[in-house]
Amino acid sequence: MLEIRELCVAYGGVSALNAISLTVNAGDFVSIVGPNGAGKTTLFKSISGSVPVRSGHITFEGRDLIAIPAHERPHLGIAHVPEGRQVFPNLTVEENLEMGAYTETGRRDWKSNLAFILNLFPILDERRRQLAGTLSGGQQQMVAIARGLASSPKLLMLDEPSMGLAPAVADSIFEAIVEIRKARNLTVLLVEQRAVEALESCDRGYVIETGRVVLEGEQNELLSDERVRKAYLGM
Amino acid sequence: MGSRTTFMQSLGILAVLSAVYLLLVFIVPNQYYQLMLTLVAIWAVMGISWNVLSGYSGLVSFGHAAFFGLGAYTVALGLLHFNLSPWIGLPLAGLVGAVAGIIVGLPTFRLRGHYFALAMLAYPLALLYVFEWLGYQEVALPMNRENPAAYMQFSDGRIYSVIALVLLVIAVLVSRWIETTRFGMALLAIKQNELAAEAAGIETRKWKLRAIAISGAIAGAIGGFYAVILIVVTPASVFSMLTSAQALIVALFGGIGTVWGPVIGAAILIPLSETLHAELGNILPGIQGVVFGTAIVLVILLAPEGIFWKIRDLITRSDRDGRSGEAPVATALVDAGELLERPEAMAGKTVLEVKGLSKSFGGLKAVQDVSFKVPEGAVIGIIGPNGAGKTTLFNMLNGFHTPSSGEVIFEGENLVGLQPSGVCKRGIGRTFQVARPFARLSVLDNVLVGAYVRADDDATALRHAREALALVGMEKDAERTAGGLPSKEQRLMELARALAGKPKILLLDEILAGLGSSEINEVIVVLRKLTESGITILIIEHTMQAMLRLADHFIVLDHGALLGEGKPRNIMRDPKVIEAYLGRRWRERA
Amino acid sequence: MSDGLILLENFLQALAAGLMVGCLYGLMCTGLGMIFGIMRVINFAQGDLMMLGMYAAWYLFTGFGILAFLGPYVGPVAAAIVAGPLLFIVGYFLHQFLISRVTGVSVAASDNQGHYAQLILTLGIALILQNGGLILFGSEPVSIRTPMSSSAWEIGPMVGEWVSVFLNKARLVGAIVSVLVALGLYVFVNRTRLGKALRASADNVEAAQYMGINVDRAHRIAFGLGTAITAIAGGLVATYYPFQPYVGIEFVIVMYAGVVLGGLGSIVGAFWGGMTIGLVQQLSTLVLPIQLQNTAIFAVFLLVVFFRPQGLFGKSVERV
Repeated sequence: MLEIRELCVAYGGVSALNAISLTVNAGDFVSIVGPNGAGKTTLFKSISGSVPVRSGHITFEGRDLIAIPAHERPHLGIAHVPEGRQVFPNLTVEENLEMGAYTETGRRDWKSNLAFILNLFPILDERRRQLAGTLSGGQQQMVAIARGLASSPKLLMLDEPSMGLAPAVADSIFEAIVEIRKARNLTVLLVEQRAVEALESCDRGYVIETGRVVLEGEQNELLSDERVRKAYLGM
Repeated sequence: MGSRTTFMQSLGILAVLSAVYLLLVFIVPNQYYQLMLTLVAIWAVMGISWNVLSGYSGLVSFGHAAFFGLGAYTVALGLLHFNLSPWIGLPLAGLVGAVAGIIVGLPTFRLRGHYFALAMLAYPLALLYVFEWLGYQEVALPMNRENPAAYMQFSDGRIYSVIALVLLVIAVLVSRWIETTRFGMALLAIKQNELAAEAAGIETRKWKLRAIAISGAIAGAIGGFYAVILIVVTPASVFSMLTSAQALIVALFGGIGTVWGPVIGAAILIPLSETLHAELGNILPGIQGVVFGTAIVLVILLAPEGIFWKIRDLITRSDRDGRSGEAPVATALVDAGELLERPEAMAGKTVLEVKGLSKSFGGLKAVQDVSFKVPEGAVIGIIGPNGAGKTTLFNMLNGFHTPSSGEVIFEGENLVGLQPSGVCKRGIGRTFQVARPFARLSVLDNVLVGAYVRADDDATALRHAREALALVGMEKDAERTAGGLPSKEQRLMELARALAGKPKILLLDEILAGLGSSEINEVIVVLRKLTESGITILIIEHTMQAMLRLADHFIVLDHGALLGEGKPRNIMRDPKVIEAYLGRRWRERA
Repeated sequence: MSDGLILLENFLQALAAGLMVGCLYGLMCTGLGMIFGIMRVINFAQGDLMMLGMYAAWYLFTGFGILAFLGPYVGPVAAAIVAGPLLFIVGYFLHQFLISRVTGVSVAASDNQGHYAQLILTLGIALILQNGGLILFGSEPVSIRTPMSSSAWEIGPMVGEWVSVFLNKARLVGAIVSVLVALGLYVFVNRTRLGKALRASADNVEAAQYMGINVDRAHRIAFGLGTAITAIAGGLVATYYPFQPYVGIEFVIVMYAGVVLGGLGSIVGAFWGGMTIGLVQQLSTLVLPIQLQNTAIFAVFLLVVFFRPQGLFGKSVERV
């Protein structure tokens, strides 16, 4: 479904991604782990088009993504839930979800999506008319994920959904993600610093350091890799 | 600075330029061209004045007409009411400009960014109305027929050009002196990141006030001279927005942040607009403004920092491109190495003591009643989830924030209430989450910025900077341009900048972020070496594995409160810490 | 009539004038507030775009007289309103070809000195408009001639035969139209899908893009709308206030004072901020000489920036 080949991105001469290649098949749950600043967020941003690509290819369902302007990519079925949540703080929860449903498919499926979302996160139903900026961190993360779902995406990209959340809250978010994937049969691409949780939920994973893929494999291969265990799992 | 030409070299350039200027003055055919040459010098000086404040420090002023106009009226009214010769009036106008600069600067420097620019816009416009109301709609400088030379009145226009040249030379020298000393370094650091500059021990407010005083003095003096040239002064001619804009435009067009920028800008734009005004002024009355407006628009779109830098970048581009392609060292997952325990590390005498420290923003309690002691030579790791108050704690330790309550005792002195520069002077250095190097400067110059705080003269500062580079193992990179450094080198450079101030305590905020595991090991080795030389380190870090190998002692924050402290091994088994920070899966796996 | 009553009458007269002028200033500020609120662009050329709006209304009604057939009462108001769409086009393309080069998505990504570039670019545009205006329109002050400018409705007398307040017809009509236009904008921004998308773009450019919103287009529309709103306000002011190409600078400070006072970024706040400035300006005539009317605004403006500079940029201090 998503194919990345030899992708390079640089900020002002400093290289952020260095010939990264990865593949996401339809229906897969793929996790990407790595230390802070390894280039995970940059990878996501280059998929959704908010950073310029220096060289390499990104194809989505056979189409060359790089040639498509960033604001048209969500209309192809890519939902990006950004790092740090980035809800629209001065819009109400419902307006946030409406913006999530800005795409054609999102408007078409609005009623059923809304029902699914409010069932998944009942708290958001209570807070519908509240400004999103006044919600707690965990609730904002729910809004951000729900906003991504509201577009009826084929590919859901989640960037550090646990960031800044207490472990218990983060756990419930991970559970919700697994539930969403089951219920909607989505393809999920997850970036996480919490390597344990990320690798446990996924089918396949990649380890990224300083803008390169240093390791890739099936879930159990990664979880049993001695170096991964030492560097990321704290063993 | 930016260019490494020395002060003497610039004297040479200045001598050549002056000679060319004088030659032009004596060969141009008539008064009209002489006047134009005089105006070129006047606006070059005005551009330099703007550049001294806004170009070097990054605080954009739209209000330089205020100083210019006050200078013009000082000379005009001095001559009219007190028979004061412009020979005395000019220095006086400079003084008035300097005082006005300080009066304007004192309140206005509290503002940042857009607000500063907007507030500056208001001063000359307010003065414009005040001078109209005072009845000075039109002040003519009276002619003195008995002794014209004593009143700066000459029939030969070339003499005015020579005076203008002298003023220009003075302005260039002053500006160049700023560029080549710690004054310029301080302003550049402010431009890049004012908070980081303050944390590096630079007394930002003092330097900004000095800059605006000098800038105001130059503008006032040249405004006074402008009055002499024009003979008639009106509020609209000296306080108008076009005056402020013209100062900004010549500097911006020629090149911002370098003394040669305004000179280049004035030499191109003034003859252009004057000629158009003379040729087309009757049919197209606003042509000057249109030319200047178009010049700004084009410069912003095509060469946002001015012609000087555009050309310079074109010349140096090939050089830089070669470097940026340099790939980081091949990375692979590296064995994380063994935990290192230093049983005696926590036995030193207490160098820093935090007592009951709290900070609230509005209703939010960012840090609540945190107390701990730091022994000399220890490495204290501060851990906790995002938003736990770790960075806020650092901000209170180095003086960015004044605590709502509590004390920070360093070597027996309470640091609460000190400016960050004061804290730095006493020996607490820090690095930041987001490194912001001065991209155009060399690594050595970047480090030098941090060295001035403990150095009385430039030579000592330079020595401290080199020593700091040696400490982090970057002596060989001293002359490289900072812009293209890979992230590990950028981090080490920032560490060196903090070390150049000879700190006793270092506050390191996520210095390992963005590094690969082998690079993390290299930085850890450097940090270990520092602790052996007796420096105490407080470090915020998310990479637990690195922290376990580096810290002698952990302090855990959660929701602003101290959740626990102790030996890293013990902390990792503390159920409270696991619950709040590490997560239940950590426990399951561990 | 006693001194006390004269004082009362003067005060009420200034208050009424302040409220009416305040509505017009409020509308102007709303236009600027929209541009700042959605794009975070400090637009120095806003006053000069308003000047274009004034001339557009003038040409429509007086100069070319296209709308003169509507008569001296409806015509000027219609001209002011038609100036809106005309200036929307100007603003839209100004943004597309110039402003967008230094703002928006491309700049948000690269952490350059974008702020200064915007400020200085709009300053350049302001200079071109002012002086280009001088070339095109000449320096002679003009105004839209309508009998409303010199006639008034009288309220009162309130105390016996004394204490009457005169409401200038041009100002009152302008004030009413201003309120209606501002309300219309409010409904657009809060109730329509496009309006919500504009607000989303204002809150977070990057996230808006992830929703599939064309942020650059949203910004063009916002810039066009902001320009149009201010132009309508200018067209209304032109019915009672003679103007020339340099008129913009008088109003740009009024607008910034209002927008900052109302809280940067808030469109509703901008209206109230403008209203406050109108009141300050008119009430200051009770105690200050008329030439210092604008100086009073500058003083208020400076006080505002000194004592309420937080809101938007204050936050940046807390997070190092």
